Amino acid sequence: MSFGRPPSISGSFQATPPDRGSFPLDHYGECKDHMKVYLDCLRKNASNSTPCRHLNRDYLDCRMNRGLMDRDEWKNLGMSNVDSKASATKDDPHDASVKASPSS
Amino acid sequence: MNSLRSAFLRPSFASTLRLCTSTSRPCRIQAFSSWRTATHIPRERIAWSRAPKYSWRTMATETPPPRASSPPQPPHRASRQQMYAARNRSLLMYTAAVIVLGVGVTYAAVPLYRMFCAATGFAGTPKVGMGKFEAERLVPVENARRIKVHFNADTADALPWTFTPSQRFVSVLPGETSLAFYKAKNKSSKDIIGIATYNVTPDRIAPYFGKVECFCFDEQKLLAGEEVDMPLLFFIDKDVLEDPACRNLDDVVLSYTFFRARRNAQGHLEPDAPDDVVQASQGFADYEMAPRAEDRKPTSEDSPKPS
Repeated sequence: MSFGRPPSISGSFQATPPDRGSFPLDHYGECKDHMKVYLDCLRKNASNSTPCRHLNRDYLDCRMNRGLMDRDEWKNLGMSNVDSKASATKDDPHDASVKASPSS
Repeated sequence: MNSLRSAFLRPSFASTLRLCTSTSRPCRIQAFSSWRTATHIPRERIAWSRAPKYSWRTMATETPPPRASSPPQPPHRASRQQMYAARNRSLLMYTAAVIVLGVGVTYAAVPLYRMFCAATGFAGTPKVGMGKFEAERLVPVENARRIKVHFNADTADALPWTFTPSQRFVSVLPGETSLAFYKAKNKSSKDIIGIATYNVTPDRIAPYFGKVECFCFDEQKLLAGEEVDMPLLFFIDKDVLEDPACRNLDDVVLSYTFFRARRNAQGHLEPDAPDDVVQASQGFADYEMAPRAEDRKPTSEDSPKPS
């Protein structure tokens, strides 16, 4: 890398580059609504990621549609088993309380 | 050799060549009249080549005249013509097939080369989705223990940005990809390019922490007064469940630090901060680093000169 780090440290932290590089910046806030819905879902579900995965898919889909991300298959992004139903049905507070994981 | 020549040459001339060899007499290729007198060829054979519709100048590829109008030819003469015609037709077919195949390969070469480069990483093609980012590894492990990933955000002093995480922590399953957001606002009146470094603690989770896509190590330009949300897609590899060192690991801290960007001597963007500050942001505060080449002071002793 260009930051001049020694390469010989193993086992401890190594800053590996991200697989797909960097997200282009969303200067116009085109996918901001999807982000807000996802953050609300996280708050309702005690920051559990599993119930909100379909919103992840919605957000990445929004990015791909607007040219802010290369279009790719869902399985390459780890979202093959997520069905992207309309977020309105899943954001029901009654639904969220049922789904909250007992461990967290 | 003779048969190869005969495939291309005019039939009458080829037949005369064959006759030359069969008589085992010295045979020179001369003009027709002098040749006839010089060699000892029976007359009736010459009569074929002097047939009015089929002179010796006739090319082999020309279709022979219709059978009804030509004089009755001996059977082996007609079959030889057919053989030549058939051979020429097959040669034409093979040549056409080679041309079509060549054009097809030219069209197919572009996607084939692209596939070859993607598979082998030849000519600098980045290999995406390999190794620990394969699609099979990005599947959540159901009913495994959850790991809480806490988010932390810092900025360098020289950077007039506010940089905060949009969520305090996310509780993820191993193997599950999930999104996280950071918010950055440029408070100054100028456009600034920033560059971020990140760090994961504790150290033993570092080999299992994978980022599919993020915003670090790449220049991020914020216009004056602009506020932008930066996403991050990450996962924790499911092999963390099998690592005995990570058995009781439940909390991970992911920390990002934004620096102003500057260009170094090689033209690459790097954080505009002293080296020890940059290394500290990546978790190397306790490590002693050798100074970089441009920062090294010349030694007082000279190296012994070779005699």
